[in-house]
Amino acid sequence: MSDNKHHAEQSHEEHLREKHLMLDPLPRGQMNEMVMDAMTAPPTWKWWLVFGFLAFVVVYFLFYKWGVLIAKGQGEAGVMRPDYWGIFLVNTVFWIGISHAGTFISAILRVFKAEFRRPFTRAAELMTTFGLVQAGFSIFMHMGRVWIFYWLMPYPNQRMLWPNLHSPLTWDLLAITTYLLSSTMYLFLPLIPDVAMARDRSTGWRKNLYKVLALGFRGTEGEWTHLRNAMNIFAFAIIPVMFSVHTIVSWDFAAATRPGWSSTIFGPYFIVGALHSGMGAAVVVLAVIRGTMKHMDYFVRGEHFDAIGKLMLIISMAWAYFFFNDYMVQWYGGDKWTQQLLHFHEAGPLGWMWFAMLFTNIVLPWAILWNPKWRSNPWLVGFVGIAINVGMWFERYIIIPISVTINRMPFTWRMYTPGIEVPMGIGTVAFFILLYMAASKLIPLIPVWEVQEGQMAHELKKFGRETVVSVSELE
Amino acid sequence: MTENQVVDLLAVFSDLAPAADAVEQLRAMGVHDDCMNVISGIPVTEAMLGRPRQWTNVPRIALGGALLGMGAGIFLAYISPFLYPYPIQVSTQSFVPGPPTVVVIFELTMLGMLLSTFLGVFLDSLFPNYRPMKYVPEISDGKIAIFVECPHVEEKKITDVLKKLGAESVKPAEAQHL
Repeated sequence: MSDNKHHAEQSHEEHLREKHLMLDPLPRGQMNEMVMDAMTAPPTWKWWLVFGFLAFVVVYFLFYKWGVLIAKGQGEAGVMRPDYWGIFLVNTVFWIGISHAGTFISAILRVFKAEFRRPFTRAAELMTTFGLVQAGFSIFMHMGRVWIFYWLMPYPNQRMLWPNLHSPLTWDLLAITTYLLSSTMYLFLPLIPDVAMARDRSTGWRKNLYKVLALGFRGTEGEWTHLRNAMNIFAFAIIPVMFSVHTIVSWDFAAATRPGWSSTIFGPYFIVGALHSGMGAAVVVLAVIRGTMKHMDYFVRGEHFDAIGKLMLIISMAWAYFFFNDYMVQWYGGDKWTQQLLHFHEAGPLGWMWFAMLFTNIVLPWAILWNPKWRSNPWLVGFVGIAINVGMWFERYIIIPISVTINRMPFTWRMYTPGIEVPMGIGTVAFFILLYMAASKLIPLIPVWEVQEGQMAHELKKFGRETVVSVSELE
Repeated sequence: MTENQVVDLLAVFSDLAPAADAVEQLRAMGVHDDCMNVISGIPVTEAMLGRPRQWTNVPRIALGGALLGMGAGIFLAYISPFLYPYPIQVSTQSFVPGPPTVVVIFELTMLGMLLSTFLGVFLDSLFPNYRPMKYVPEISDGKIAIFVECPHVEEKKITDVLKKLGAESVKPAEAQHL
């Protein structure tokens, strides 16, 4: 009897160790080897095939088509009265939304000391930087005369132009620039110790690259203290910046007195929408990393998908709440044009998109993510993540080109038909994936020192007859 | 080598506890805290090692950057519209309205703070530094190393003590290109 009990306890402990990365430590040297191996392993022919295809898509759909747009003008795009804002702006909002997951996962979870974040903070932070690059491209595409973008900069000049700092579009420039710079710095700081680790294990061009990037980091007490302080400041300060960015994006719409746009709830609604799509994208990235890179099944486990799945479920509920709140007030207001617009959303030629948005953003996540077993399945959660992103792209399409179709001048009503925007949008998706593929071969995607720090803080502890996971606060 | 000459020793430990014991023992032997430095592959706090608190200027530099950023925001939002040779008055709108200036000042304050935090790490850590430095690559494999500056006459005594306390190796530290 006693033997059986002992075996049961042992198997419970083994189960906990299998389940939790933090309870399943390996020697640091071995973890370093695994991360280096995943990064430096020669790419397979399949990898090169995908890389080559994406590179072609980027060159042809993104850059060549952009050249065509610049040479021939905005007439190549489908924008025309009243739909001056088309897919370029849909993609801008979409990519800024994707970029929010990096900060959310890395900064907010760091502030709240959520331990499951440790192995995938970097993968999420990369999403922020790479997503913002695509957002920047998309807004420049919309700008048309991209070669004079610097006219947006607020400085006195011989053209007597002074950008209007009262305009939400100028706030956008300031907010997105602040967010891009700060998220890139926030990506780089915790990368320094891992790059130093890679420097110690590399030769040839990699050694030179990591030597430059590691800046001479040795891990002295002073260096860690400065780094830790800086990361704490970043984690706290970048959160309000993240909130401000998507709020300001929402003001691009909400500050206008158009039907469907003039809403006081657009700020938080957009933030929650951004987190919804961002978390969906993060989980897709994690599923791909886990499924395609060597040794990643050790670092990224079912527990991580389970934890992110819970967050996705909560965020989906919050998005549903904000959506209904926004819809309810507009519907109740009884404004003639707003009524027309709401009817157009649901019963217009693109009504299917409105219903698909509700299905992929609410029905599907709720139907799958409530179940802990399903939630721990990387590919299933990854599928939900893709569906949410499709749904959130639809949401932005409904808010922008579909909503500007219905205005207070019915003689201008016209359906938006996109042109060159479609291939260029596909080009930004390809470029995002391409940057990820390149990054996976150039920088350690797993912050090994953070994982080791977490493993040091975790242990199994007996409370009465129960063995439970215990975490010490090391800082 | 004269008796007064100072040598730099490098002791490598595989665990935190013996490294902390070694720090304590060295201090008991009269080695001042300024003559020791610990390097590690994870952020080991000063309290864990029994070391004095490390001074960092990063929060002050961040605060300075925030103030500079706020100044830039105030200049852009409140002052710059008056510098334009032909100020644009739009209907009855106030020339410098309040709420939009809050947005501009907030963004530039945060940008100033975060940029200076980043630069603060560089300034305080003397990054980038590509000169030869005393280091052992085993650090990134999870080892902890203690550099000890001691008079030449004490070298053997300190080496013996460190080995007794569990040091895997104790050797003279040499600067090398990382």
